[in-house]
Amino acid sequence: MSEVLTRIDPMPAEPFAGRGVSVRQAPPMARFSLRARQAADLEKLLGVSVPQKIGTMQTGVMCLGPDEWLMLAPHGTKIADGAGLSLAVTEVSDRNVAILLEGPRAASVLAAGCALDFDKFDVGRATRTIFETVEIIIVREAAERFHVEVWRSFAPWLWTAFVTVAAE
Amino acid sequence: MTGYRLPTGGRVNRAAPLTFRFDGASFAGFEGDTLASALLASGVQLFGRSFKYHRPRGLVGSGSEEPNALVSVTRGPGRFTPNLRATNIDLYQGMDASSQNRWPSLKFDLGGINDRLGMFFPAGFYNKTFMWPRSFWEKLYEPVIRRMAGLGQPPSEIDPDHYAATYAHCDLLIIGAGPAGIDAALEAASTNQRIILIDEQDEAGGGALSDPSLWPWLERSLKALAASPNVTVLTRTTAFGYFHDNFVGAVERLTDHLADLPEGPREKLWRIRATDVILAQGAIERPLVFDGNDTPGVMLASAAKVFALRYGVAVGESVALMASHDSGWNDAFALAGAGVSIAAIIDVRDAVDDALLAKASALGIAVRLGHSVIGVRGRLGVKAITVARNDGSAASDITCDAVLMAGGWTPTVHLWSHSKGSLAWRDDLGAFVPDVPNENVRCVGACAGTWNFGAGVVVDVLPTPKDPARLKAFVDFQNDVTAKDIKLAVREGFRSIEHIKRYTTNGMATDQGKTSNLNGLQIASTALNKPVTDIGLTTFRPPYTPQTFGALAGHAKDALFQPTRKTNIDSWAEEHGAVFELVAQWRRARYFPKAGEDMHAAVNRECRMVRSSVGIFDASTLGKIEVVGPDAAEFLNRMYTNPWKALEPGRCRYGLLLKEDGFITDDGVSARLAPDRFHLTTTTGGAARVLNMMEDYLQTEWPDLNVWLTSTSEHYAVIALQGPNARKVLEPLVEGIDLSAEAFPHMAIREGTICGIPTRLFRVSFTGELGYEINVPSAYGRSLWERIMAEGARYDITPYGTEAMHVLRAEKGFIIVGQDTDGTVTPFDAGLDWAVGKKKPDFVGKRSLARPDIVAPGRKQLVGLLTDDPNVVLEEGAQIVADPNQPVPMKMIGHVTSSYWSEALGRSIAMALVDGGHSKMGQNIFIPMPGKTHVAKISSMMFYDAEGARLNV
Repeated sequence: MSEVLTRIDPMPAEPFAGRGVSVRQAPPMARFSLRARQAADLEKLLGVSVPQKIGTMQTGVMCLGPDEWLMLAPHGTKIADGAGLSLAVTEVSDRNVAILLEGPRAASVLAAGCALDFDKFDVGRATRTIFETVEIIIVREAAERFHVEVWRSFAPWLWTAFVTVAAE
Repeated sequence: MTGYRLPTGGRVNRAAPLTFRFDGASFAGFEGDTLASALLASGVQLFGRSFKYHRPRGLVGSGSEEPNALVSVTRGPGRFTPNLRATNIDLYQGMDASSQNRWPSLKFDLGGINDRLGMFFPAGFYNKTFMWPRSFWEKLYEPVIRRMAGLGQPPSEIDPDHYAATYAHCDLLIIGAGPAGIDAALEAASTNQRIILIDEQDEAGGGALSDPSLWPWLERSLKALAASPNVTVLTRTTAFGYFHDNFVGAVERLTDHLADLPEGPREKLWRIRATDVILAQGAIERPLVFDGNDTPGVMLASAAKVFALRYGVAVGESVALMASHDSGWNDAFALAGAGVSIAAIIDVRDAVDDALLAKASALGIAVRLGHSVIGVRGRLGVKAITVARNDGSAASDITCDAVLMAGGWTPTVHLWSHSKGSLAWRDDLGAFVPDVPNENVRCVGACAGTWNFGAGVVVDVLPTPKDPARLKAFVDFQNDVTAKDIKLAVREGFRSIEHIKRYTTNGMATDQGKTSNLNGLQIASTALNKPVTDIGLTTFRPPYTPQTFGALAGHAKDALFQPTRKTNIDSWAEEHGAVFELVAQWRRARYFPKAGEDMHAAVNRECRMVRSSVGIFDASTLGKIEVVGPDAAEFLNRMYTNPWKALEPGRCRYGLLLKEDGFITDDGVSARLAPDRFHLTTTTGGAARVLNMMEDYLQTEWPDLNVWLTSTSEHYAVIALQGPNARKVLEPLVEGIDLSAEAFPHMAIREGTICGIPTRLFRVSFTGELGYEINVPSAYGRSLWERIMAEGARYDITPYGTEAMHVLRAEKGFIIVGQDTDGTVTPFDAGLDWAVGKKKPDFVGKRSLARPDIVAPGRKQLVGLLTDDPNVVLEEGAQIVADPNQPVPMKMIGHVTSSYWSEALGRSIAMALVDGGHSKMGQNIFIPMPGKTHVAKISSMMFYDAEGARLNV
């Protein structure tokens, strides 16, 4: 029966071409919130290496806090839920959506509403922050490419904000 | 005709003439002019009327220190800006500007009567006069005062402009691009530091712009800075405030100077975080205080120099200088060099540097030492001045059409003060200068007190033989404060400069005392017979100059004002005519009217359909928290009032959450999915608050617990399916879950698939009917909703909104936290004793529930109300009394919290918080309303199906 249900996204499917920057929606993906006292506990369960330094990312896992990681994986990925172990795996695939900013002005679009210093934001860094009042996670995938995670219901607002600044 | 354009000189582009309008008349100027310089060049000396006395006023300054020449500029619908300083307005072709605060015209202003009656308007006049009778204030005094005394008109239309905003970071922020600021930038430019240099004027240069000998240096320097990739120069940008940790707010004006408005933002807010800040804001010349010093044509000597050398405009045909400082002499010499005739130099000092005297003599300028101006003739413009020896003798007139004031200099320490840097008094300068910084900041140039303007003396009020009580010697031009106002404040007992400021209004409002603070302080110092340092200085407040609301709001308007959160199903509701309401930031469908239905008809139909067949409701906004870990049950047992450890996987429980004070803060149904995994729900508005509270306890009280909380509110779309036919609608769609009553009872959860999508299926009910809440990944919400609508069509499935939801829950006596509770309601008050685990050793709020006044009788308790007249629906919030015949004011014993028409019962129902309500069952209470007092009987809140027969099917 699955063929009858379709996914509906909160943002336009068409990318927006701004001045020196494009704004587009990332494809659906799987997301897991991972919590544990040590990264090693998660590595044992998942069989992938988990970064220990807050703000870093490897193998799709970003370290957001002392006991908190977010894993991004291809759409449909399932992972062990860690039942009985002293850790927490929670699926949040549809909680977030992601917006991709790419181009020479990508950092300045983020700087319009985010107080971080993007001259000192290395490629590979992932951090939770806010854009004006809205919580986001920024991953710098390349010098001129950012992946921005946002809770689904805030995505239309964030999209409008990015597009507004991108057009300026 | 007084002012005029000099034949040569200035930085204006004489090859680019512009025309513009002021108060409807046409004028001409040049590219590079300000509105002020162009009007001066055309002979305009009268720029506005003063705030309180409506006295005619002209220019005092040449930049942002200008207190008088506030004008309005309009450039089409919604683009009206009042209170702009004419000296800061870059002229463009076709500008339409007008003066303010005058009626019917600038030259003939009826409000000028205030000036004649000036003796009746002393300091504190409003506070003293308009006190009685009190009732006159709102209707008479305030509207009249507001009309008479005030600055420009507020805009009346929506601003069509767009405003940008950004954060910026730099290693060095330099504020002020005069010679000191430019030198600092050049020095740092060779490093690889990121440097931002900002200046409020249309071009960088500051004082150098009015010193042609520095122009070659200026051009070279700006070229060098432009060639440095690490230097950003922002002109037309005002640093308006200096906040903690070197955070500086600045507004860049992008289009106000352009004749044709381009696409794009009008202004841009810069929020700059700097490692180091250099303040190079310069200094502002101080006016002198003498009778008639506000006559149009009396202005700062430095301003006259700027007009002559930067804009090529003479401020008069014959100009007199009144000085207490050498700088004025040099300005007069510069004017003479530019071809302006100097009528006389008057200096309050008995002796000045011989070199100045020699230069004056060489230029043929008459000099009077030890003299002061004691009067100014002319009302709309200077015609002559009277000068006298400082002892009052030998008064004589000098014909002139402009008077320059050179009273020394005041370092501009506004931003320094914003940053909480301390100030030190310099007797030699008669001014406060920056002392100990509170941030990584230093001052350079004139704002640090290092200047080469020469020497001077500080005089509070120029000597005069006239009666001090009759003098119109202004200190604060913008706020119309005279020297005698300050003296009066002191006589009336004000000692602190902060009090004197507020009583007299000296240094307040948009001007922030740029030209008046030090003179006011000197006068207070003399009157109090105390040194200035014992009186102190008032606090400078942001903004340095007025900024538009648009710039401060930045992008945050219209669609970007704040996020409107919508569920995945919201678009369906919109397409099907839902009426929405906002719940926190969420937009929720309130009801779904059919053609011809009002809200009541729609809600009644929706309720009827839920009770008789099946309704469908978007519950996606409910807060959801996944609680995972070996100690999950232990954690919930400590948070909630009721026991959780024994709850079996697959079962749900109603959870009641208190704060430490024992009052209800949230509730919701939660499910145990596995021994170490719970799915919590919270109220829509409480989602973030509850997660924060739980995290707080976890991190600070019980860090030993191995349990973690994750918000899953937005991961799931939630569809509530409620009504006797709910199971029949669901059955064909669900796989892997036995929906039978035996296998899947009320208050249980099962995992399976619906239409092929994984689901967490709750069997719960907020309506009292057989009900399910279907959780699926959010993106499938609308698609599943439509599938269920199709499946339910044969049962006439009916979408219902939050209003029907409220009615249905009220019929069952289910409370809404925040509506039926107000932060002072305990579980016992709400009749939820059953949800409190009596045997539990502890839970959040338990200790407070034993406090004496929590267990005392007579607390307000939540009860049902049934009106005697079943058709009366009480107003929510209505007050309740025990005896309607008691005298007013009556003793109120409670209020109505929820009230609805119940379609199921065919009558109204209500809930109320009533003093000792639980012990008043069956008693009548009274609700006095306009025109009618309603009678109602206190009842149980279980209005419908009290035994729950409809649930357990």
